[in-house]
Amino acid sequence: MAKKLPDNIDEIQTEVIETDLLIVGGGNAGCFSAIEGKKINPDLKVTIMEKAHISRSGATAAGMDAINTYIPEGKTPEDLVRWSRSQVGGGPIREDLALSNAKELNQAVDDLEAWGLPIVKNEDGTFKYRGAWDISIHGEQLKPIMAEKAIEVGAEVYNRVVATSLLMDGERCVGAMGFGVKDGKFYVFRAKAVIISTGGACGLYKSYTSDATNSHHQTWMCPFNVGTGYAVGIRQEAEMTSMEQRWVATRTKDHCGPVDTISVGYKSAIINAKGDRILQKHYAHLGGDKAPRYIRANAPMEEWLAGRGPTFVDTTHLSPEEVKELKIDYLNERPTFVLFLASRGQDITKDPIEIYGSDPYIVGGHTQSGYWVDLERMTTIPGLFAAGETAGGSPNKFVGGCAAEGKLATRGAINYISSVSLPELDSKQVGQEKERVFAPLLRGPEFDGVSPLEMEERMQRLMDEYAGGTSQFYRTNEERLDYALKHLKMLQSQVIYLYAKDLHDLMNAHEVIDRLDVAEVLTHHLKFRKETRWQGWQTRSDYPEINPEFDCFVESRRNKETGEIEAFTRPYEQIVSGDRYKP
Amino acid sequence: MKKLNPKVGVFIWDQGGWLARAIDLDALVKKFTKAKVVVRCEVLNDLWSTALLDLIKKDLEAGQVDRVMWVGRFTSYQIKCIKGELASTGLNPYLHEWCDLEEQGICVEGIEPGVQTCKAMTLIQMALARTRLLEPLEPMELPGSNAVLIIGAGVAGLHAALSFVELGKRVYLVEKQSGVGGKVALLSRFYPRLCDPRCGLEFVLHKLSESDLVGFYTLSNLISLDGSPGNFQARVQKQPRYVNEVRCNTCGACVDACPVELSWSSGVIQNLTHKTKILKGVNGFLQSTRKAIHPSIPMAFPSAFLIEKEHCPPECRECEKVCPTQAVELNQSPLEEILRVGAVLITTGWDPYPLSKVVEKDFGYGLYPNVISNFEMEQLLGSETQGQSPPSGFSLSDLKEVGFIQCVGSRDLKHLKYCSSVCCSATLKQVLYLKEQVPDVNCYIFYQDIRSPGFDEDLYLRVRLLDGVVFFRDLPTTVGPEGDTGKLNIIANDIVLGRNVEVSLDLLVLAGGMIPSEGSQEVARVLNLPQNQYGFFESHLQCHPEESQRTGIYVGGCAREPMNVAQSIESSHRAAMKALKYLEGTVQVEPTYPVLDKTKCDQCKRCMEECPFSSFVFDEKGFPSLDLAKCRQCGNCMGVCPLVAISLRHNTIKQMAAQVAAINSSFIGSNEPVILAFLCENGAYKAAQFAVELGLSIPPNVIFIKVPCAGAVNNALIADAVSSGIDGVLIAGCKDGQCQYVWGNQLVRKRSSDLSDKLKMMMIEPERIRFEDLEIRDAGKYVDILTSYIEDLRAMGPNPFKFIKQFLF
Amino acid sequence: MPPRIDIEKCDGCKAQEEPLCEQVCPGGLMSLGENMKAYCRQLRDCWDCMACVKICPVGAIETRVPYQLGYHVAKLIPMMGTDTVTWTCQDINGKVERFKYRNRNDAE
Repeated sequence: MAKKLPDNIDEIQTEVIETDLLIVGGGNAGCFSAIEGKKINPDLKVTIMEKAHISRSGATAAGMDAINTYIPEGKTPEDLVRWSRSQVGGGPIREDLALSNAKELNQAVDDLEAWGLPIVKNEDGTFKYRGAWDISIHGEQLKPIMAEKAIEVGAEVYNRVVATSLLMDGERCVGAMGFGVKDGKFYVFRAKAVIISTGGACGLYKSYTSDATNSHHQTWMCPFNVGTGYAVGIRQEAEMTSMEQRWVATRTKDHCGPVDTISVGYKSAIINAKGDRILQKHYAHLGGDKAPRYIRANAPMEEWLAGRGPTFVDTTHLSPEEVKELKIDYLNERPTFVLFLASRGQDITKDPIEIYGSDPYIVGGHTQSGYWVDLERMTTIPGLFAAGETAGGSPNKFVGGCAAEGKLATRGAINYISSVSLPELDSKQVGQEKERVFAPLLRGPEFDGVSPLEMEERMQRLMDEYAGGTSQFYRTNEERLDYALKHLKMLQSQVIYLYAKDLHDLMNAHEVIDRLDVAEVLTHHLKFRKETRWQGWQTRSDYPEINPEFDCFVESRRNKETGEIEAFTRPYEQIVSGDRYKP
Repeated sequence: MKKLNPKVGVFIWDQGGWLARAIDLDALVKKFTKAKVVVRCEVLNDLWSTALLDLIKKDLEAGQVDRVMWVGRFTSYQIKCIKGELASTGLNPYLHEWCDLEEQGICVEGIEPGVQTCKAMTLIQMALARTRLLEPLEPMELPGSNAVLIIGAGVAGLHAALSFVELGKRVYLVEKQSGVGGKVALLSRFYPRLCDPRCGLEFVLHKLSESDLVGFYTLSNLISLDGSPGNFQARVQKQPRYVNEVRCNTCGACVDACPVELSWSSGVIQNLTHKTKILKGVNGFLQSTRKAIHPSIPMAFPSAFLIEKEHCPPECRECEKVCPTQAVELNQSPLEEILRVGAVLITTGWDPYPLSKVVEKDFGYGLYPNVISNFEMEQLLGSETQGQSPPSGFSLSDLKEVGFIQCVGSRDLKHLKYCSSVCCSATLKQVLYLKEQVPDVNCYIFYQDIRSPGFDEDLYLRVRLLDGVVFFRDLPTTVGPEGDTGKLNIIANDIVLGRNVEVSLDLLVLAGGMIPSEGSQEVARVLNLPQNQYGFFESHLQCHPEESQRTGIYVGGCAREPMNVAQSIESSHRAAMKALKYLEGTVQVEPTYPVLDKTKCDQCKRCMEECPFSSFVFDEKGFPSLDLAKCRQCGNCMGVCPLVAISLRHNTIKQMAAQVAAINSSFIGSNEPVILAFLCENGAYKAAQFAVELGLSIPPNVIFIKVPCAGAVNNALIADAVSSGIDGVLIAGCKDGQCQYVWGNQLVRKRSSDLSDKLKMMMIEPERIRFEDLEIRDAGKYVDILTSYIEDLRAMGPNPFKFIKQFLF
Repeated sequence: MPPRIDIEKCDGCKAQEEPLCEQVCPGGLMSLGENMKAYCRQLRDCWDCMACVKICPVGAIETRVPYQLGYHVAKLIPMMGTDTVTWTCQDINGKVERFKYRNRNDAE
């Protein structure tokens, strides 16, 4: 319903809320953070700031069909780290973070089961494993279950409040600011510590169905996670890690739904148009069907490029029972894939499921892009903690690992809180941010500018063509990256022309602004890593081989005054023994 | 949520061996003895032995058993007795479960024992699933007041006040006029005894004024009512009288000094051309004036005068100057007070229908000064004897020819569609009284029907026997002036005579009807009290006329519907009786009220909108919060919640879902359809019981679950039933207008039809969900519905969900 | 995969504030129009999570596949029970499949 929009900044009410622990992003990690906080200290004031509604917000909106990592009997957290490391081609990964996640992992999943999440079991009551580490769940209610628990333990939830900036006290983060997308108020949350858990960044690149009517958001990843969490930190000089390690994955063609774990779980090999089992054929030396994830992501694209497409996962051997189970898995995570198959009248035992690469995403729960954090999950900004896909360094976390990390971040935050207090509110900072936030809404009727949609489309095509998007089979090179950076800078300078016709549009405007900041950092990282270590995730056509000099983390920091992005490295440290390249 | 560890004692009462004859009792006992939560499963031949009581007591004390399930057939009296006996064991009364096999049809002749046994097993399985989830509950007491608020100090309000006072309850009487008495104080006489209305009113007032339990609030209105039944906070605003109530000794010196004259009636005709004595007199009467300062109206109680200050000239203080007791206080301001009361009684009465609206009939009201309403006639008749200023220069004895037209603006599609039930008797009374005062006056009554029910027939007879009284059966076609005489000429087409009649009248009285008073409209707004289509506070249930859809708020007298004085008094007493339970100082609440799970609630407000009794308000966080005293525990909120976030205690969603899940959808064999029926406790369930009593052939295919109101059935439960393979779901509630909870039946009918539409989209026959209305005697209809439903389901074939494996683990 | 709303069925959730579909959409895409009925403000932005379809109390919302992806017309209808969910799918050739599974266990 149309709410009367303000004419000037003074009509906009400012709401100031004080809390102990602020959690920005009420998703999987965010809810677990809140629940852990209240468990450790029921008197702790915990506030969740969520731009949609926590009952169905974020990546788990439709549900989940599997927990991809649960350590079975006989295996250890170290084993999980080894597997994770090998899945990213030997890393480098933050093994300290990976190990701490792995140790916390099973408990987080057990918590979910205790809260009512149905986990598929064998006859004898043990969890049914679909792969080496994945267990099947009926997670259609996964998000509501977590959200209800967060409310039950007493977290204070602010739904429909979009985060736009951190609240700073010098170098320290003391909260966050944003606006209500329904009530149009300006919100200032003052907190002793902040956990940022806004998920990853989708929509930096154009999805390949984007130019058609009604298919703009055919993305695997939640398109409403735009990287705000990264952007607010980037703008305050936070150090980001591994942003060049984009998550690109094999997905159902056109529909862009999950298929990787289906492929592994139902033993459906990736085949090309000729029926060749391409992983076996071309990547046997890297493990064949068990090859690292980026190989699996890139392989089908290579087939298309070589003229041997289309590519499929071979489901022709499945029994009717297995087909049913497979469809139930989809119904739990991405139900419209069942509808998609039905809308083609497709019998997957006759016509196998077609696959293609997805658009690239930044998602630190699958790959390791995100904030550089310490073991307590504190970022390089004191008082700011990161968890879930927003936190970088440790790939292959998935649902269980992000949940576990939420808990770890809370513990870190509570330790931190015990030694700090809330400073005075910097009203100048608040005033400036309020102006910046509402500027697109207050342009006035005569304003001649650019809509968020126009800018988003421009950015997405720019990134796709120049920074290694799907249309380029993920390839890029120095000159294209420079081109991208130049135009990203121009887009950033044109943000002053953005106008919004209502509050939802204003949210879209800020989503574009945030995406631009993340895309810029990402492009810098791609430029800096002058090698191709993870084909598909990060392919440099001008440096197609691995360069041992880059066996390290690529980091970046954006200067607050100049806007310049400085990229540098940090060394890799192996903590868990074993061959890095083998699970 | 704590982990459940229930320990159930199952007692099967096979009195006279009826059960053993119908089913394989041994197999049943064997099966349930093995059930995980069952500690003991026994067949009893004699329920009434102390041995049983001791056994249960021992089990309870030893912690062996913590809840008991009774299986068999029980009359309600037996259930009451058993509960009474077991109260001494300390077992919470809500930890008993009753599995009445007989009412579910396990005794019906002609059903194959194998089927009966299967069905009995399923029924016990269901009951056990529910018993597992039972929780002990304690009744609650909420704080209450022993004061009552009565709005409207007319005859109904005053009499009710006296009843309350006699029972020792504090009464606050709120009246918007300056004096009490309402409309009755303005009437000339009561029928049938022609006694003076002021007599009865003075009698009651005398008693009330002697009691210190009564607070009179005249010139007052109710601004708001907060709180809950037993514990309301009524905010009352009192307008200033500008006269000190204690000091004023009613000497009247102020009235003489006051320079302002105000007219009573707005219907006065200004430019009178025919100045006959009667015309001048009646017009003058209607035009009679008052000063700005005057006694209370309509009765001088409270005795202090009041000033209509809005009409005073600025700076005028004439009354203050002459008052011997310094009672005039021109600086008074409105006062607000919050009164704590347990219940509210509304007796705001009626107003006469404004006859100036009835223009198309052209009876001349407002045009000729000698056309007046029946209410104005009362005042005219009463004026000579009541000491009011008599009409100047004219007396009643000047009247020679008086006409009465009945049903003016009543029983009329353009005005009041209803009959105000008292106008005929009132006109007869006016004629009787007029003839007593002026024996040679001629009266002409133009009527459609004379309605004088009950003993009023006697009144009718008396009037018909009077000389000089003629009844014409038709309403006049024309009313006009008779030349310059000042008289009125009436022409009517009399049905009995079959020809026109023409009459010449001195005075014409139009009998208009009653409408809800302005005060009633005001109260409806402040209290959000539902009105019927005419604006009266008719109860939603014929058999509970004193009820209103707001718990703790009662209505009596003409505010409810047009009625005569005796009926008004009766009605207000009846409402007063009902209100008493909220005036005890505490309010008892059954512990089976609804509970909201805030973790699931999305604040969509459907529960608030659909609660028939407006029992929810928003709490400070925006969640619906239930007023336990207002709640009638019908469960409609539980039924409507799209997130299944509300449950009635002792009839929770989980308990019902467990019962549904326990139903073996093939218990009757693989080719016979199974029906799950949700029966509302008040109508449909009684019909089912009645069917058993009558020995009707109830098909064995149906299993029912009893619900407090059909509206308590949530779509998620119906979805569970359909998806578990049950072939048909029947929801049986009341007919429209008969639901004890106003509209529960309509809500579930609409909701379940939405779900039927979804079934259609799912390629399942939408008729697998059906709503029917059943009254208490519809035993035969119940069986017919089931029989035809089974036929339909056989034709449809089994529910496809019977063959879909649920992925269990 | 944009949601289709049956405006005859939709009653705007009779609420002053937001209808249920508006509350639950992770993208904030649902809204109440001037006609007091729900509508999706930006069909191309829908991520087809079906949260709105599941929560609508009157069953007024259906998900469809955009023609860019699949043919006319297939249906996927969820029916929510208290702790199970059933899905019925009909493909473009009329073939019907049904699925049923538990989506909640009792919390401990």
